[in-house]
Amino acid sequence: MSEEKLLEVTNLKQHFKTGRHSVVKAIDGISFDIYKGETFGLVGESGCGKSTTGRTIIRLYDATDGDVKFNGVDVHGKKSKSDLKMFNRKMQMIFQDPYASLNPRMTVKEIISEGLDIHGLVKDDKARTQRVHDLLETVGLNKEHANRYPHEFSGGQRQRIGIARALAVDPEFIIADEPISALDVSIQAQVVNLLKQLQKEKGLTYLFIAHDLSMVKYISDRIAVMYFGKIVELADSDELYKNPLHPYTKSLLSAIPLPDPDYERNRVRTSYDPADHDTSEVPEFREVRPKHWVLCTTKEFDAYKKQLAE
Amino acid sequence: MDKILEVKDLKVTFDTYGGSVQAVRGINFDLHKGETLAIVGESGSGKSVTTKALMGLIPKPAGKIPSGEIMFEGKDIAKMKDKDMQKIRGRDISMIFQDPMTSLNPTMKVKTQIMEGLIKHQKMSSSKAKERAIELLELVGIPDPKTRIEQYPHQFSGGMRQRVVIAIALACNPKILLADEPTTALDVTIQAQILELMKDIQKKTEASIIFITHDLGVVANVADRVAVMYAGKIVEIGTVDDIFYNPKHPYTWGLLGSMPTVDSKEDELFAIPGTPPDLMNPPKGDAFAARNPFAMKIDTEEEPPMFKVSDTHYAATWLLHEDAPEVDPPESVKRRMKDITANGSDQKGDES
Repeated sequence: MSEEKLLEVTNLKQHFKTGRHSVVKAIDGISFDIYKGETFGLVGESGCGKSTTGRTIIRLYDATDGDVKFNGVDVHGKKSKSDLKMFNRKMQMIFQDPYASLNPRMTVKEIISEGLDIHGLVKDDKARTQRVHDLLETVGLNKEHANRYPHEFSGGQRQRIGIARALAVDPEFIIADEPISALDVSIQAQVVNLLKQLQKEKGLTYLFIAHDLSMVKYISDRIAVMYFGKIVELADSDELYKNPLHPYTKSLLSAIPLPDPDYERNRVRTSYDPADHDTSEVPEFREVRPKHWVLCTTKEFDAYKKQLAE
Repeated sequence: MDKILEVKDLKVTFDTYGGSVQAVRGINFDLHKGETLAIVGESGSGKSVTTKALMGLIPKPAGKIPSGEIMFEGKDIAKMKDKDMQKIRGRDISMIFQDPMTSLNPTMKVKTQIMEGLIKHQKMSSSKAKERAIELLELVGIPDPKTRIEQYPHQFSGGMRQRVVIAIALACNPKILLADEPTTALDVTIQAQILELMKDIQKKTEASIIFITHDLGVVANVADRVAVMYAGKIVEIGTVDDIFYNPKHPYTWGLLGSMPTVDSKEDELFAIPGTPPDLMNPPKGDAFAARNPFAMKIDTEEEPPMFKVSDTHYAATWLLHEDAPEVDPPESVKRRMKDITANGSDQKGDES
């Protein structure tokens, strides 16, 4: 992991109009950076805006406000077609549901090679076939699979096809939106191992969106916790698990069931009540300790500092 | 402890165009009074089909129970007529379904859905049933039950809907509750609340619970005993401590090993290679042999019987045969098990 910023998100907002007067603030001003080669985990409960964040970054939605810079270049805003094409090549996405994200009428080869053709990465059909076969091998499938249709595969295999499709155009950055939640436990480990191995080989950077905290902890270098459209805490993954500061993070961590009966028998769950916060001022995102950020007011900031010093 | 339910050599098959799928291939287990038995396994292992058989909900004529007994209070549910089964279903045995979004009727008020069973089974008057329905909503922790009961499912959040589903299941004070992945569709924080609620209710009503899940964390939280299913068979069964601290079957090792613990630092997770077998043509011998790094020649020839590990703990693997070589679980799994035992104590300290 280097110190070079690959992605800079500043004050990103995504508001959806749901009626004449009502607006859902799915993302409400979040800022973070993702460094080259790291895995950045984004966790939170359903409806907190974590998937919307991923989709807005890759321009599936137009952001209401805020900047997204990729390699120092602004991603949103007006772009020429060729710029957009270049950007689309560098950033790819793996979707949550391997059943819904593959076109059932296309063969695996067509699915994977679509991106190759759009970006003109292969000269002729021979090269295309070769590239598809290589990709299938990379993700642990074999070349006989190229002419089959998605329904002939199991969930884990489909997710591998989704990964092969994302890898086809040699991206630098992959947004993985709950890539393993729809898979069985024994298959989840296979896919996570594959993602890790690919990262090592190709120097990929991941934004890993999930709600399974133990898996996120395992795969991520840094983790951001989202709650109702805001990032409430951001830290290195070990630091976050050892010293959670924001009460929401604490309640989230205390709710993960661990595969350990003794621990479970004695578990104390802390619940989160947003009303417990200091409301004298609007909370801001502050750095409590180097690289450990929490959304808090000045009063809470001092309390957290004291807590860490102990 | 009293046995409330006995399942003997239960088999379930489904006829399809491609042939007959053997979803459950001869399982045996008992359910004791007041205990929670968790059934774990991946999708397609037959865990949901097992509960459907217990509820008499195997779709006919495609689904069949070619052999086996399900003894409940001296009667065999497997051979019972639909009409007799209707008297038991919802009264003595009831079910909590996985998806609270689809298991409630969107066109009916919550009130009507809870009262339905009370009026049918317990012959209550509707005013009495309404009183009881309000009590039930209070029991499952829904605030302001008198107003909420007049509302429709879409006015409830996911966690609240699951509470309504639980209230319906509890309406007639069932002796057995079948919970089919009741928390899988919920967020971790809500999941923790629902699990606490179920344990609470079990204490109050002394119902026995069969809890189906693939999340081993949840199992560690709720279960007294655990049955691990693979390819339509129970491959290991024991108390929750037996399964987590002294697992004997390689598949159980794989399941435990494939979950990262919060403190694990390994570069790679222990993944079970391959995919589950096709139950249209189940393999000869041990169904897990093809994915088992410890498989021996006999695994491909003959199915292993249940070997006894202790009075509460049984496992079906040839590794437990007296002639089998001594095999240790893979290093990563062993370390993890040690990790888990060691960490249990100091994490408690962190949180208090």
